[in-house]
Amino acid sequence: MTPLVLAANLGLSFAALAALCLSLNRHHAEVFDRKAERAAVLRLRAFGWGAIALSFFIAGLWEGWAFGPVQWIGALTGAALGLVLLLSYRPRYVAPAALAALAASALPLAILAVAA
Amino acid sequence: MKGSFRQSMAWLHTWSGLIVGWVLFSIFVTGTASYYRPDISRWMRPEFTRVEPVEAPALGAAAERAVAYLGTHAAQARTWFIGLPQPDKPVLDLFWRTRPGAPPGHVLLDPRTGTESSVRDTQGGDFLYRFHFELHMPPLWGRWVVGICAMIMLVALISGIVTHKRIFADFFTFRRGKAPRRSWLDAHNVTGVLALPFHLMITYTGIITLATFYMPWGVTAAYKGNAQAFFTEASWITTPRPPAKQAAPLAPIGPMVEQARAARSEPLERLMIVNPGDANATVVAVFEEPHGLSHEHPQIAFDGVSGAILEVRDGGLKPAAKTFTVMTGLHEGHFAGTMLRLLFFLCGIMGCAMIATGVVLWSLARLPKAGERPFLGLRLVQALNVGSIAGLPAAVAVYFLANRLLPVDLAGREEWEIRAFFGAWIVAALVPLARPQRRAWCEGLAAVSVLCLAVVAADILTIPDHPLRRAGGDPLFAWFDGAMLLLAGLFALAARKVLRYEAPKKAHKNEHERDRAAKPAPVPAAAQPARRPEPTHA
Repeated sequence: MTPLVLAANLGLSFAALAALCLSLNRHHAEVFDRKAERAAVLRLRAFGWGAIALSFFIAGLWEGWAFGPVQWIGALTGAALGLVLLLSYRPRYVAPAALAALAASALPLAILAVAA
Repeated sequence: MKGSFRQSMAWLHTWSGLIVGWVLFSIFVTGTASYYRPDISRWMRPEFTRVEPVEAPALGAAAERAVAYLGTHAAQARTWFIGLPQPDKPVLDLFWRTRPGAPPGHVLLDPRTGTESSVRDTQGGDFLYRFHFELHMPPLWGRWVVGICAMIMLVALISGIVTHKRIFADFFTFRRGKAPRRSWLDAHNVTGVLALPFHLMITYTGIITLATFYMPWGVTAAYKGNAQAFFTEASWITTPRPPAKQAAPLAPIGPMVEQARAARSEPLERLMIVNPGDANATVVAVFEEPHGLSHEHPQIAFDGVSGAILEVRDGGLKPAAKTFTVMTGLHEGHFAGTMLRLLFFLCGIMGCAMIATGVVLWSLARLPKAGERPFLGLRLVQALNVGSIAGLPAAVAVYFLANRLLPVDLAGREEWEIRAFFGAWIVAALVPLARPQRRAWCEGLAAVSVLCLAVVAADILTIPDHPLRRAGGDPLFAWFDGAMLLLAGLFALAARKVLRYEAPKKAHKNEHERDRAAKPAPVPAAAQPARRPEPTHA
């Protein structure tokens, strides 16, 4: 189970952190060349925190509440490192990569849901 | 140390980080490598890949051979330790202590014949692992030094969090290609903040693993000086039995091993035979940890003469003891599978990077202005930076290289590998003293890259079982060489960056001014170090 849950959480964390990152004016401007609208900022933040919470529950449900939090923090850290590097070297790719990560995390989640 | 709370904390962060930075860097590098200790050990004993693993039912007979060997070669010893064959170490690993102070005995045996194993003499990953908490010093001294450094690290972490005002605003910010102090500060912040849960956890639990060593007084007071009683209650050991001072033969050990194997599903890891040959001899069978966060080895104690079970220790810990074992378990990360282990490893690398960027920042913040001469302390710090950040990885690469290149039958081979490690490190630390700063960085980083490539070359040339030379060879060698190639590439990139680096044009300065005008945060703008004599960061 672990590799699947971790893969799902890495994707989910990446999408969540990218959303939070794009809700910040500086990074939004780096990626889209314009300031973020207030409504978009709120949506991005709601999605970001929501996805982080969701990933915590996924980790806890499948890995138990002892391993879950450890894995959740590990996935968040790993995803954040990837995001910062991408943002620094290829800011244009951040938004598509976040969408791809979100889509990619659906597959392991689907497998887990079917198996459960 | 004056001014606001934050300025005081910045001062504390700067100096606490600097004084222990280099030692901490070596602790972090060797600790991070220790997440792959079994793999490194296996790579360093390539002969093992040809040995068939021992099946569990044959363990009893293997243990008998170990006892027979110890009976003839270590009859006077007070305790025998028998490491049973494991998938990653398919030999009997014997270790015995005769009396405190005397050098312990150590030998590897072939579990099928009971003769000495022909594997090359090396400490393998255990050297890096022990260096991580003993620095290759006498254990008591080493542990104290590491403990003090870890405690100061905790101070540096907390004061760093207070100093870093814009944790959330700058959470994802890494501005490359700006003034060097800005980029390095960003790198320091990003590696520190993103892996902060790991840094806090690993530093705190690191101190906790040796807490009763650093602060034994609680145990002394509560158990009236009887530390053994505490160890027993915490399930670290089974109840100790003093020798009866009466000779009695040791019962056959095979049936005890069988009994132990039948009692638990975890694999047997080692046997400990206390007071062999005495009427009160005790045989303790130690199992591998059950899967869980907590670091606890189940143990079964047998009476060495009758072979009857005396005591079974497995789980059922009280909350305090459980807290301790969970903290130790978190620190060691034995529970982590491939992916999670990789994440732990990445976090460790980020810790190394955080410390490295931190000590470099200290020297960048104190660069002399045009026309001034660098002061002696700065030169020393700059040289030590190169000597540790490039020097230690170079030394580790030389350690691996020595493992492949030293003659297999060299007497004292194990010590020669370690001498090669320290020799390389000393050279790498002394050369930068005599070289211009930038040249020293470039040469040091390039040397690490070349050494890593040399490890790969030596591995392919000396190992006939290498997958590149023989189809179906052990993939471990390919993985290890892949990691070495990756490191070689990273260090080569870094060397190239130092070589090609040009200070950013003045245009950046205006950008910084605008940045500052928009957000009047007291972060020192890197483009104007001259205006602020005592920077809050770095």
